[in-house]
This record gives sequence, C-alpha cells and structure tokens, in this order.
Amino acid sequence: MGANISQLERDIGSDQFPPNEHYFGLVNFGNTCYSNSVLQALYFCKPFREKVLEYKARNKRTKETLLTCLADLFYSIATQKKKVGSIAPKKFIARLRKEKEEFDNYMQQDAHEFLNFLINHINEIILAERHQSSCKPKMGIGEGPTPQPEPTWVHEIFQGILTSETRCLNCETVSSKDEDFFDLQVDVDQNTSITHCLKCFSNTETLCSDNKFKCDHCSSYQEAQKRMRVKKLPMILALHLKRFKYMEQYNRHIKVSHRVVFPLELRLFNTSDDAVNPDRLYDLVAVVIHCGSGPNRGHYISIVKSHGFWLLFDDDMVDKIDASTIEDFYGLTSDIQKSSETGYILFYQSRDCV
Amino acid sequence: MYKGTNPTCHDFNVVTMTPDSVSLVVGFSTGQIQLIDPIKKELSKLYNEERLIDKTKVTCIRWVPGSTNLFLVSHSSGQLYLYNEELPCGTAPPHYQPFKQGDGYAIHTCKTKSTRNPLYRWVIGSEGCCINEFAFSPCGTCLAVVSQDGFLRVFHYDTMELLGSARSYFGGFLCVCWSPDGRYVVVGGEDDLVTVWSFHERRVVARGQGHRSWVSVVAFDPYTTSYSEQDGTVDFSGGSDDETTQQNHTPNCTLSSGSSERSSVTRNSGNQASNRNSSGSDFNRMNAATCYRLGSVGQDTQLCLWDITEDVLRQPMCSKLRTSGVGGSGTFGVNGLAAGGAYHLNSMGGCVPRCNNVSTTLQTNAVASKDKECLADGNATHFHGMNMHNNSSAPSLTQRLAGLGFGDRKDGSGTHKRNFSLASRGGSTGGDKNNSSYRGSGTSNRTSADDPMRLIGTGACPRFDECPVLEPLICKKIAHERLTALIFREDCFVTACQDGYVYTWARPGKMGLASHIPSSPTTVTAAAVGGGIGPSGTVV
Repeated sequence: MGANISQLERDIGSDQFPPNEHYFGLVNFGNTCYSNSVLQALYFCKPFREKVLEYKARNKRTKETLLTCLADLFYSIATQKKKVGSIAPKKFIARLRKEKEEFDNYMQQDAHEFLNFLINHINEIILAERHQSSCKPKMGIGEGPTPQPEPTWVHEIFQGILTSETRCLNCETVSSKDEDFFDLQVDVDQNTSITHCLKCFSNTETLCSDNKFKCDHCSSYQEAQKRMRVKKLPMILALHLKRFKYMEQYNRHIKVSHRVVFPLELRLFNTSDDAVNPDRLYDLVAVVIHCGSGPNRGHYISIVKSHGFWLLFDDDMVDKIDASTIEDFYGLTSDIQKSSETGYILFYQSRDCV
Repeated sequence: MYKGTNPTCHDFNVVTMTPDSVSLVVGFSTGQIQLIDPIKKELSKLYNEERLIDKTKVTCIRWVPGSTNLFLVSHSSGQLYLYNEELPCGTAPPHYQPFKQGDGYAIHTCKTKSTRNPLYRWVIGSEGCCINEFAFSPCGTCLAVVSQDGFLRVFHYDTMELLGSARSYFGGFLCVCWSPDGRYVVVGGEDDLVTVWSFHERRVVARGQGHRSWVSVVAFDPYTTSYSEQDGTVDFSGGSDDETTQQNHTPNCTLSSGSSERSSVTRNSGNQASNRNSSGSDFNRMNAATCYRLGSVGQDTQLCLWDITEDVLRQPMCSKLRTSGVGGSGTFGVNGLAAGGAYHLNSMGGCVPRCNNVSTTLQTNAVASKDKECLADGNATHFHGMNMHNNSSAPSLTQRLAGLGFGDRKDGSGTHKRNFSLASRGGSTGGDKNNSSYRGSGTSNRTSADDPMRLIGTGACPRFDECPVLEPLICKKIAHERLTALIFREDCFVTACQDGYVYTWARPGKMGLASHIPSSPTTVTAAAVGGGIGPSGTVV
C-alpha cells in the first residue's frame, strides 16, 4: 500500500499537489464499497463537503447521529497530516447499520439507494435539530397546503423542482404540479448520451385506459398528456442511470450495460418555460461506477475531479487517472459481454456556485 | 510500423497527385507522422519520430491547400504544427519564440538558426485542451478549428488573425466542415447538436436537433446543395457587426485562382451554376433557391440528413423562438411562455419572433419520398481501413478511415495522454489565457475566450429558443457501432464505423454506377420501416 500511496503523490507531483487537499481511500468492511464510493463522490462535491465540515464545527457535543458520524469522517480526512493514505470509516458504517436494517448485513447494497437514504436522512436530522432548538410553533397559515419549511443546506445543494404539466384531452385545461427532487432517475438506451436520456425523461406521455387522469375541470377521469420538466435546477445535479431492470423471464434484476456517454459539461434541454435558472452550466465532478454483472454482485468505485485532475477511488486505493479514461465507463455497445464498468450515478455541479 | 500505436487520420496531397504517385501523410495515436506514397511505395519519411515535438495523439492532419510541401497537424495536446515535408525535425526538443498572440490562442516559431520543423506552433484554447478537428475553407483562406473546450475558432490562415468564434451549447465540439460556398461553418459535438455558424454574420444561425448522442462527423453534400453564386456583401442583416474587417476576410476571396480551385471540393454536379471564384456578381443574389444539404453521423449509430434553407438562415437573432414541444401541440404551455419570456427579453434587442422550425410530426414520411438519397439495403461492402483508393474526389473521406481496420482504436486511446492535468508542456502558453489584447475582429459581443458563461445568450452561443432549431429530413440508424466517417460522392455516400466496416450507399437511380453493390435499392421510407441494417448488409 505504501508503494501505491507514494505513487499517487509522484503522479500528481509534489509541487502540483493542491494545498489543503487530502486524497484518502476508505477501507472496505465487507461489501461496503457501495458506501465508500458514494462517500468519496460526496466528499468531492465541494459545497456538500463544506457544509458538512461547517456542521462539524458548529456542533461539538451532540448526540451521535449518522450526520455527526459523517461529519467526523469528513473532518478526519480533511485534517490528516499526510496528504494521501487510507482511513477506516468504522463509526459511520456501524451507525449506518443501526439506522437502517437493510444495510445491517454484509451484502452488496445499491449505491443509489444508499445515496438516497443518506441525503434524506441527513436532511431529516437537520430539520429535527432545527425544530428542537427553535421550538417556536409554526404560525398557522389557514389556507392551502402546509407552508414549506425553510430549506436546509441539503435542500440548497441537492434540491431541484420538477413541474409536471398535464393537459386534459377533453377540456384542454393544463394543470401543473411541482415536486421536489434530490436526484433524477433516467432510463438508459443503447448508444445514447445522458442528454438524450434526460430528454426522454421529459417526453410527453399519454395517460389512457387504466391510467386516466382525474380532471378537476371535467370532474371525471379523462385521457390526458403529461410531461415532467425541470423548473428549478439544483446546485448539484445528481443523475441516476437506471441500469438495473427487472426482467420477468429471469425473475430478477439484470444489469443494463448500454453505452451512455456523459460529457464533462452539461446543460439541460428539458427545462420548463417558467424555469428559474434554465441557463445553468454544469461540470461533471464525480461519478459512482458499478463494476460487474448484476445488482447484488460486483463492485462500486468512484471517479472524482479535484483541482483540475481526475482521481479513481477503489475502496482504500486512490489513483490519478487521465481524463481520457473516463470513456471506459460509458458502457458497452454489444450486449454479449456480461460484465461491465459503467457510470451509475453522475454528479454535476453548477458552475455559478463556485 | 510502431508497436502500441495506430493510425488516427490521414490526408492525400491533391496538388501533387498524379496517376502513378501520391503523397499521403498519416498521423498516429502516439504523435508520430509518416509521409508515404502508397503507389510508388518508395517514399517514406517520418516526422516527430522521437516524439520531441509532441507526445500526444494526432487528431487531424491536412495538406495546406494549394501547397506541394506544407501540411498542418493537430494534436490532443491542443497544439497545431505546420510542417514542411522537405525539412528535418531536429534532434532536440524545439525551442519556441512568440510570434503572434490573440484572444484564446498564441502562435510560436521555432528558434533555430537553420529552418526546421515545425515551422509554426499554434496553441489553441487553454492549456491541454484537445483540438478535435480542423478544416480549411473551400478557397483555402480560412481555417476553422474545433476543440474540447467547446469552441469553434475561425482564423485567417495567412494573417493568423482570429476572425470569429462560437461556443457549443455545452461540451466539446468534435467535428467541423465548411459549406461548399464557404459561407457557413457547421460543427457537431457533445451537446448532440449540429450547429450552423454564419461566416459573414459571425454568429450561430441555426441548430439541428436529432442525434441521440455525440455527433462525430458533419459533411455537406455538394451534389445536392444549391446556392447562389454570391458571397461577401450579403447577409449583414444581423446588424451589430459593422466592422470592415469582415468584408476583407470573406473566405471566398480569390487566392491565386489555380490553387483555390484545386483545394475546393471537386464539384461536377449539375446543381452548380457557375464557378464560385469568378464571382464579383454582387447583384442578383436570389437567382437560385439556396438550400444546403448536410449530413451528420454520430455515436448514436444514426445518419441524419438536413436541409438548411434560406428562410432559416436569414432569420435575425431572436430572443424567443420557442414553440411548445409537447406532442406537437401548439397550445400546450403557452401560458408558461409569457412568463418565461420575461427572463430572456433582456438579452437582445430588436427581433422578429417569427419561427419556421421545420414542423415536427410526420416529417419522416413526407420527406423521405421527396428525398433524393437512397439507402440501399443490401449494398454494404466492406473493405479494410487502409484500402484507400487513389481517387482525387475522395481524399478527405478516406482520411478518417485509417485507424479503423486495425481494430482496437480503444487500446491506443487508453495509452495516450490527453494532458488534461496541470502537467507538462512548458510555460510558454501561460500568457494567452489572461491576455487582454482583444482583437476586435469578430462580433461585438464576443468576450473572453475561456468564460462560456458570459457567452450564453450572445451570437456565439444563443439560448436554445433564440435560434432556429432544425429537424432532420431523415434520421436513421445505419450501423451497430458508433459511426466515424461520412463522405458524399457523386453517385453514393460512404460511411464507416468503429468496428471497422465501411459502407457505400448508392444514391437513388445510381445503383448501376456505384460499384460493388449487388442487391436492389430501397427507399429511405422502406428502410426506416425495416429497421437497422447489419454489418453484413442484411435488413434485420
């Protein structure tokens, strides 16, 4: 391991090594790579890391939660004396296994499920703590839906708004409904780009037969057209490629290794007409990669961009990679090969937030 | 020839070409360049053999139009080098001295007593930013360069002035070509779009949306394109550009007429009314309906054909062209449009919000019947990459096929360094990033070269609804692997894909003329219904 570490420093070059930056691998405690890969990706989402460290600084002695464990882990990476090495996220994993029984075993878990759980859970912790500390009852606002609580920093970083517009084909009335999201889950097609997958995400779908739309104007179920578009673009756009498809004939989930290219830079085409910030330009900052043939087998690694160069985190190993090797993670053009190393969760960070 | 390297690009010299001799330059994935004569087989010279000049992949190589001995080479390091095939390369890494500098580029000469290669080094964009392709204008005066930083930069080749630039919607630009009359530059890239840039107006005038992944090749079909013999003085309706430099640098300006004719695409189609270079006919520019036929292929394994017509090209830049895209219904979402408009109206003044996007639905059928192309279904012929034919009308076509027959291009690309990192490549280019010496050549709204955020909403990168969006005439999956080449010829067009297959597709009614095509033709419509065409040429 020592040889590998010094190799990384040599690859980067001691004069090029970014000050105040630490590249630490995370030890695997038996199939915990789903957690390691996501944690590394999140650590290199700069706005998220800063907020977690800020939380750590503000909350010295609180009850142990998953958030305090995460903050301790990030803090411990950020304050290492050495620049490279590896660290054991023991406390975090122990806490995670206590918090959610699905993760309380040594089985391979889905990295996206973990990300989803982690983000939501952290958000709830912050909301609960805020509620405890301020304790002032929300002023009752009589009408309409309950007022949105003030957004947390998790909201500020990951939350976007989707607007779903539905047009009743009987009365032509258009109704729209907003919903929050922390990530977008897109279907994958062979030989496409993430841009195309996002466009398909916003394709118009017709609601008919068993799936009709209850039109308030017509007071009845009617055929309707529906589409989902992005109304508020998040600071960090997390895209989940739905690569695990349930196949009835096999009675299990099968990995879809289709080649889906993702550029280093992204803008969204599927924004709504009243979008708040449709011009956001995103940079790819991290990718969680699934290696292997199925959802419950295989391995997760992540690649992250830091100070202009790319690093590959494979549990406790860290390597500098050339940007051109990213294309190895787009997927396969042939369906013959079973195993593949494919981008699974993409993290794009808005350029206007740095 | 080398271990662990493979050819990436090549070009024939059309000036010196004779029936029994041809100069062919080939670029390699590890940076070397070889000059050979595939007919005589005795000529073989190497350049950058020790990789002292550049270690990175050669991405594009072209003979300078009209020249017998000069060729230009781009590398993934972001540099362009000019070589003279008669000069040696030197035994030590070259030392450079600044020669010229502008917004987003710098040019250096070799600092030696005796003249040697490279004659010039162009550094384009920020450091280590891969140049993906470059193309000389049909008359040879201008050079269009596209790179991974998402910029198209158009230079006057001889004066080395930057004439204009455009920026992708996002991501790198991967390919570039000129319209046969030199009035438009078309680029394709990682935004899945085909972007049309007007040379005269120095702005993006249209975008084509139809590919499902990155666009790897764009090419005009000169045999189906019709345009008036006009240049220079038209198309200034765009307004804001009143600088006279533009007029001086129209790419149609005549060089010595001989060389320019040779360098242009060999056009012997009937559509072509008269010789472009004889121009000066500033009057009567509407004598022919302008319609450019463009083709594009991409990583989505699809071929798209586009018609770019006068009415689209002549639209002024507009602040709001968006039509609601839902299921082709015009009414849906109109209420949102008013609100959305408020966000954009600040960007550009004085525009006419008329939009003639090609209508969306039913396009395929309507178009396919009138379309002149014919995708024959059983006509695939495979020959391997290096099987280049000595045909003067097709040099740039075969050019892209070199790397293919050798199978795994992927291995090669894994080994080369794209130098995205901070490393290497001396400090000599450090200055051009921050260089404020702004060359007021292009449009008035062009800003610093490395801030794409500030370009959004300008002529270099209009918002999506500020610029006409074209739909393809046809959009057809024609292979199982990523497409890597597209060449139009008089009786056919040729495509190649990543797994090494080369397909020849006959035009309608040209089945007999296009050789090695055994089976019957099918119309585009029929082929579209039939589905994908396999490598063996059978309809699946």
